[in-house]
Amino acid sequence: MNNTVLELENISYKYKNDLILNKINLKINSGEKIALLGKSGSGKTTLISVLNGTIKPTQGEVKLFNKSFEELDRKQKSKITTIWQDLRLIEDLSAEQNVNCGLLAENNFYFAFKNLLNISSFKKAHKYMKLCRLHNSIYDKKIRKLSGGQKQRVAIARSLIQESNILLADEPFNNLDPKLITTIKSLLLENVDKNNTKKFPKTALVALHRLDLLNDFDKVIGIRDGKIFFNIKRNNLKKIHLEKIY
Amino acid sequence: MNKLKLNYTSLSFLPILVCIPLGYQLINNIHFGGFKLFQEFLISAFNPKIDNEIIITVIKRLNETILIGFFSWLVSIIFGAIFGIISSNIFYKIFNIPNFFYRIIRFFLTIIRSIHEVVWGIILMQIYGINFSIGIIAICIPYIAVNSKVFAEQLETIDYKSFESINQINAPKFSSLLTLIWNPIINTFKNFGLYRLECSIRSTVILGIFGIGGIGTNIFLSFQTLNFRELWTYLWSIAILIILSGLIFKKIKFNTTNKILSIFFIAVFFITILFSFSYFLYFIFNNNFENFNSVSSLFKSSSDLRLFDLLKLILETIILSLLSTGIAISLPPLVIGNFNNNSSKIFIKIFAFLLRLIPTPVILLTLLTFNNPSLSLAALTLGLHNAGITSKLLFTNLDSQDKRNYIAMKSLGISKMTSWLLGLFSQQAKSYLAYCAYRSDIIIRETSIVGVIGSVGLGWQLQESLSSFAWQEVTIVLIAYSSIAIVGELINGKIKNSLT
Repeated sequence: MNNTVLELENISYKYKNDLILNKINLKINSGEKIALLGKSGSGKTTLISVLNGTIKPTQGEVKLFNKSFEELDRKQKSKITTIWQDLRLIEDLSAEQNVNCGLLAENNFYFAFKNLLNISSFKKAHKYMKLCRLHNSIYDKKIRKLSGGQKQRVAIARSLIQESNILLADEPFNNLDPKLITTIKSLLLENVDKNNTKKFPKTALVALHRLDLLNDFDKVIGIRDGKIFFNIKRNNLKKIHLEKIY
Repeated sequence: MNKLKLNYTSLSFLPILVCIPLGYQLINNIHFGGFKLFQEFLISAFNPKIDNEIIITVIKRLNETILIGFFSWLVSIIFGAIFGIISSNIFYKIFNIPNFFYRIIRFFLTIIRSIHEVVWGIILMQIYGINFSIGIIAICIPYIAVNSKVFAEQLETIDYKSFESINQINAPKFSSLLTLIWNPIINTFKNFGLYRLECSIRSTVILGIFGIGGIGTNIFLSFQTLNFRELWTYLWSIAILIILSGLIFKKIKFNTTNKILSIFFIAVFFITILFSFSYFLYFIFNNNFENFNSVSSLFKSSSDLRLFDLLKLILETIILSLLSTGIAISLPPLVIGNFNNNSSKIFIKIFAFLLRLIPTPVILLTLLTFNNPSLSLAALTLGLHNAGITSKLLFTNLDSQDKRNYIAMKSLGISKMTSWLLGLFSQQAKSYLAYCAYRSDIIIRETSIVGVIGSVGLGWQLQESLSSFAWQEVTIVLIAYSSIAIVGELINGKIKNSLT
């Protein structure tokens, strides 16, 4: 049975005269936890942006659940959630309002309106913020007043609240201390939370710089100069592979 | 000899050179016949007329002014926000609408705002006759377009990455739009709302001078009868109105986390929209269109305006705008820098307030008591009025600025003026010039008012053509006006972009 959830077919992306992604072919199967390695500027962020449909490739096709991205409706597209490297939170909104933004896809306009007026329910947002170890004293604080680590966790909570099947994350452990990294990593990569009540993204592709965080991943993809150099099981990763990309 | 280096600071002072040709013409045009009147005008400021009769008139006329000013402000700020949204980039990105429509709407709004509210007022008055509603509509038309530009500019500052992020959540498009624009819209309202209310009240007064109700009509009548004490009673009452509205506006907390207040603001928003539409429809269908035949004869009428005369008027209008802008840019830093002590500051602030308060036609008429009508006099009037506005901004920015550099320089024994120039003003010069670029757009529009009274430029021709119902001439003059304003706005936009 074909259980491919995301597929890139011969993807190239050119920005001005620079070829950022060069003929990339990639299949991501349901339930896979993939680490994306590569030095800065290797094309990791662009690859994630192509995978979530934010940028259109110059050449090739992106398929989600075996359907071309253009054919999908809004609900189907919302099955992917992204944690951006630069977080992309709305600075003027509070932490809980930002997390609630993750629920916009499954709700109507009235919900967005209530969220901005602070009269919507924040119960679900608080639950995910708590899971991300955010203290309730910062729930109603504006994003610009939070520390780097707090902002990082708000962005993660916003992504998790979407309860999407596929998680794309671009260096999500930045700004976090070692204890928090362990907590957040288990939240992102495990299928259930501690209370065994809520399912988290089943499939994950996470761009990383730190090799000591590879333990919980099934596969590792190495990228350099916009090309995939290796796509192997984590257990097969050798020093020689890393030398190719760093 | 050291060469003059052009930087933001020197560029702020350089335009004062316009005073050389201006001063030359003004000195040549001076006459001493009206000095006594001018003196009387000044003395009356300290001795306004106060009796029962005038207080009743002031209250009655202020009510009209408040009604016109407040309603036109409310309608123009709400519709300005709506048009601001649909003329901003973010709207077209979210809904994937081709940029072509965005350009059309922006161009349309540029034309609308290029024509001053007084001109709209005079045109509407010619068509519908004198009517209370004319004032509100005449202010609303250009103000909606002006406000839409302010809102759109704020919406352009939305981080593109926030847009990408919300877009990636795949929310319904209206939800994404609302989430992204909410705070920029609220902040623009908080920052510009009061200023726009002040503008609305000032415009109501000016429209009154041209016969469209409110206290402006009484101001003009008192001036015509040389009853300066009465005139100052009206002017001081407007001053109190502006100060009071400022205090009330500042007291209102636009806190969107307060549920009751939020519901109240939303109710005001929707009621205003509904009321405006119904009122507009009522106005359209229940007027007798007194001179509508004149409009329909637009295509029949011929124009006596020769091309050479038109070009001369256009040139006059451009020179008038340039000279006024020069004064408005350079006068405030020059005066504030030279008289940089606490007592002088208070005096300058009061003087600047008066320049903003006294309508430009009244300033011009006052100056006409000892100077013959000329382009220079019109430029001086417009320049002084706008210097009152630019100096307010400069004062606000300087007052909130970190003064450590200035104090450090003074402690080194550097003169007070040099310390002010290098330690304070130099850090404000860039943003000050950017604001002046925006202000010069407004100056171009305002040339129409002084043109009408000072017998210069297209403003004068417009008044003449309207008085004789020469609609083809009116159309030609309006096209010329719009063209100057559009070109000016394009140039100023480029200057502003290079400064910000």
